[in-house]
Amino acid sequence: MDGILTGGWEFVWLAYGVSLVVIVSYAASIFVRYRAELGRCDREARREPEVRKT
Amino acid sequence: MLVLTFAFGCALAYLLRGGWEWETRLEAAIEAGIVLSALLCAQGAIWAKPTWGVWWDWDPRLTTTAVMVFAFLGILALRQFVDDPVKRAVWSSVAVIIAYVDVPIVYFSVKWWNTLHQGLSTPETVSGGVPLAAAHQCLRGAVPRLRDDRAADAAGAPAPPGELLPPPLSASGIKAAHLGVAR
Repeated sequence: MDGILTGGWEFVWLAYGVSLVVIVSYAASIFVRYRAELGRCDREARREPEVRKT
Repeated sequence: MLVLTFAFGCALAYLLRGGWEWETRLEAAIEAGIVLSALLCAQGAIWAKPTWGVWWDWDPRLTTTAVMVFAFLGILALRQFVDDPVKRAVWSSVAVIIAYVDVPIVYFSVKWWNTLHQGLSTPETVSGGVPLAAAHQCLRGAVPRLRDDRAADAAGAPAPPGELLPPPLSASGIKAAHLGVAR
């Protein structure tokens, strides 16, 4: 026992891979939802003058 | 845990002071907290397999963490079923305060119960030796590579590796380095 672990690199790659997939997916979902919300605000802003006219 | 503590603060702030900004921050914090907690569970399972031999065990730390993830997931689901924004904000704030009770239990579970999981990660258990050992391992790889590159540049051929390798750092060496004792 010398306190140094050997091998097990597949678990290291798996941990980094899972982290990368989760973080990138969450970042992408935030970006998509942000764009959708901007579009919704834009549509509502355009619709507002029409509502005022009626 | 920090994100969920922030969510707890937002829930308290909304109930005591009001303001939609706290409700918005609360929702964002719950969502980020769930993503990070789920990632924590996944990474824990990946760590558990080579060290314990199993992906999952009903150990106090793991069980309380799973309860925490599902509790906050439930709050996020609850929000989808309430149409009235005021009711949604109040209910989810109260639910977050109740669910947050589990967060300190997760943290202290390894101290309170006899568990398979290692003890609390504190500055005393992670500082000193561990970063030093990591830096040592990096240098073990980097020094021969630099030397090989220089030798290859000078002679046009790579030199035999391993001549400048420092000796492996043993567990007692890490402890000695951590305590500032010469080996």
